[in-house]
Amino acid sequence: MNVISASSITGSALDAEKMRVDIVSQNIANANTTKGIDGKPYQRRIVAFESLLDAASGPNMQGVRVSEIKRDETPGEIISNPQHPHADDDGNVTMPNVNIPFEMVDMVTATRSYEANLAVVRNARQLATQALSIGR
Amino acid sequence: MEMVASLFSSDNYTAVKKMMDVSALRHASIASNLANVSTPGYKRVDMSKSFEDELRASIKSRNADEIAVASPRTEVDTLTPSTRADGNNVHIDSELLGLTKNTMNFNVLTDFASGSLKQLRHAITGRPA
Repeated sequence: MNVISASSITGSALDAEKMRVDIVSQNIANANTTKGIDGKPYQRRIVAFESLLDAASGPNMQGVRVSEIKRDETPGEIISNPQHPHADDDGNVTMPNVNIPFEMVDMVTATRSYEANLAVVRNARQLATQALSIGR
Repeated sequence: MEMVASLFSSDNYTAVKKMMDVSALRHASIASNLANVSTPGYKRVDMSKSFEDELRASIKSRNADEIAVASPRTEVDTLTPSTRADGNNVHIDSELLGLTKNTMNFNVLTDFASGSLKQLRHAITGRPA
């Protein structure tokens, strides 16, 4: 039992959602990267969340963490653009498999989840302040 | 001395203390639910229904000892249906509503606890707080 209840749980969620936004920004930044560090078109990354028991906050209480950052293996769109420096012999370029609207939706979802967790922080602070002012 | 002791061992005061514990635990449950709003397969945590019944019955009995022994506990809520493909049954809006409600409840409880202490101070000093 700590003064700010469940702060470790909320902290873990803020970390995880922040990581999700970071990955989305990486995907959007590389939406046109036809040659990544491995020499191939950029593959979008997906974060996978998993819950982990937080015994310090009580039984059944679960924090969250990013368990892995996976690559999306879906093949990217092939477009014909012979002038492109990364075009193959037939003049085709394989584009990254990043879908901007999809990334935007993911970003908004992550932002809303982040806000919900910030609301928990605000309420936890209010609980602590109220408890500390008992008798005043 | 008798009066002071009875102020702090009255059924109301004991119930308020117990309900503040419940509020703290409910806050932790909501924190856990909102933390896992994006975790596939997560099932929400809530105050145990059997505990709530126990507490309600003990408060109704107006017996401070009975209220004091009820121990707040949580349970995994598998009854709320999931509306999502990943099996997660957390609804962000109802959790946020519960969060606000819980904080307001806690404010009422701390006001009551403060009120008891203020009454005591008033009685000792003769000056209203």
